[in-house]
Amino acid sequence: MILHHIQSSPMQSSALKTCLRYIDPSDTILLSGNAVNCLLTQEWQQRLSPYKLMLLADDVIARGLQARLSAYKHIDYSDFVEQTLTHKKVISW
Amino acid sequence: MSKFIIQVNSPAYGSSSSYNAYRFAETALKNGHVVDKVFFYQDGVLNTNHLNSPASDEFDLGKAWLSLSDRYNVPLINCVSAALRRGVLSQTDANENQLSHWNMEPPFIMGGLGELVIGIESADRLISF
Amino acid sequence: MKKLCIVFRQGPHGTAQGREALDLALLSASFEQEVSLVFTDEGLLNLLNHQSPETIGAKDYIATFGALPLYDVDTILVCKDSMKELSLVEDDLKLAAEVCEPRMIASHFSQVDEVLVF
Repeated sequence: MILHHIQSSPMQSSALKTCLRYIDPSDTILLSGNAVNCLLTQEWQQRLSPYKLMLLADDVIARGLQARLSAYKHIDYSDFVEQTLTHKKVISW
Repeated sequence: MSKFIIQVNSPAYGSSSSYNAYRFAETALKNGHVVDKVFFYQDGVLNTNHLNSPASDEFDLGKAWLSLSDRYNVPLINCVSAALRRGVLSQTDANENQLSHWNMEPPFIMGGLGELVIGIESADRLISF
Repeated sequence: MKKLCIVFRQGPHGTAQGREALDLALLSASFEQEVSLVFTDEGLLNLLNHQSPETIGAKDYIATFGALPLYDVDTILVCKDSMKELSLVEDDLKLAAEVCEPRMIASHFSQVDEVLVF
């Protein structure tokens, strides 16, 4: 059970694409920073649909994307801290 | 209660990752966890340049790190080789390099990568930003 | 002692990631950690022969990869998919590395204590 932490959008960096090559179905993906933008595209909505997904709420709010991304789980920093402990390790891609 | 080590690899300005690192560290401490240290590596060392001068109405991440260290006594450690390569020097480094200026001061301190490794060894979790 | 896996994801010389990843790998090994390396995406290009980084004012840290066995860093995994993507073959690599399927690398990630991506 790994928490994969993605901080950049796939238009910016290959982090998310590379992460998906090595992810286990039991793992979780946390999108923060520009990474939250990817869920505006159908391509990434589909590619990420098999996984447990979380978005860092402040990064969504900062970008004005709350309504557009309301279908997903948004977490605050306290949840972020707890998630790093409930998972066995964190990989920041 | 768990023990974290936080590694910051991104610059203070131009990337939002360092801000996220700061918020994560502050939240962990507020919630009663221990942050063994914040270790600045790669472009992360640019967080420790005290000449960073954001406009007065902007969030000052450098000051935020200082306040975190002040409130919770968390060591803020730079990788010295990564820092020197990027023009971040303590007074000692300036003297050793025959330079008359420096731009890093306590509570930020220079250390080696060994401090990162020792920190990882003793922490429950490493979180990199 | 912890098991640290260092991932090389960026190509050499264009950015400092590869150099600073290798610095950390060697330092960790000298601090008695169990270090393994994974090469993925353009990170594979760190392992090509015949590089001349000085041509573009970059440090030749590539030669230092040769020191890994002296530091007992024996687990070096290269992603088969990235090899294919970049049209590389095993003979192109300057280190004795294990070319493996992504699921092998995934299983390696699950076995180590920390994974640091550069």
